[in-house]
Amino acid sequence: MTTLSIDGFIGLSIALLAISIFGILTRRNFILLLISVEIGMNAAILNFLFFAAFPNRSPFFDGLQGQSIAIVLVGLAATEVAVGLAIVLALNRLKGTINVAEASSLRE
Amino acid sequence: MSLEELAFLVLALVAVATALLALFVRELVHTILWIGVFFVDLSAIYFLIDAPFLGVLQLGVYAGAVTILLLFGIMVTRKRIFSREAITGIGALPAALAVATFVFLALVVGEFPGGEQAITSYNVTDLSQALFSQFGVYLLLLGLVMLGALAGAIYLVREGRE
Repeated sequence: MTTLSIDGFIGLSIALLAISIFGILTRRNFILLLISVEIGMNAAILNFLFFAAFPNRSPFFDGLQGQSIAIVLVGLAATEVAVGLAIVLALNRLKGTINVAEASSLRE
Repeated sequence: MSLEELAFLVLALVAVATALLALFVRELVHTILWIGVFFVDLSAIYFLIDAPFLGVLQLGVYAGAVTILLLFGIMVTRKRIFSREAITGIGALPAALAVATFVFLALVVGEFPGGEQAITSYNVTDLSQALFSQFGVYLLLLGLVMLGALAGAIYLVREGRE
């Protein structure tokens, strides 16, 4: 039986979320932006799995539900990357660059 | 400190370090390599907390498919694969916001009782049965989202669009 401390798990998840927020706010390259969003998504999946591993700490769902949501989230994140790359290709064709600061034609 | 705690500590440190490296390294291809290490490291954490199915899924979907897709994105949008990114530097406001998020969430979570606890592990058979009966709605919704995303992605990249 594996025994682990809960605080470390939550701390890791929060740290990854903070890194993700920082990346989303600072990076101008679309692919780096996608990677930042992926890090945040992974923090969320990690959180669902942690609370599935410690089911009596989570008042909202039981363990199997947590793991089911984690599986669905993995699929959702893969879908998001596919759409993101489609946007990268369209942006590259339209502007010749994947810098998100250049994609401002809706601003005018 | 037990062996599992030591393993988790090392894996968590590697996860944070590789996530930071992926965002701060100048070469975009190196970013993809670091993020690949990050995904493999997270799958090791999943194995550690007795979620082997999710660990395999993480290896296949993230370390396999997502990494290759991102690499493909770099490949088709650049003339030279290895070219350095003009780094934008550490903005004071985003860094402050990230630190504030961390501190706030850590304080909020710190209110709840922590401590050591045994990990509950689940049978893969039970998980799949629950996924296809009790929580089947999630899978249906995921399928609908994927269908819409597929149509949208094809519309975005098709030739001859004005």
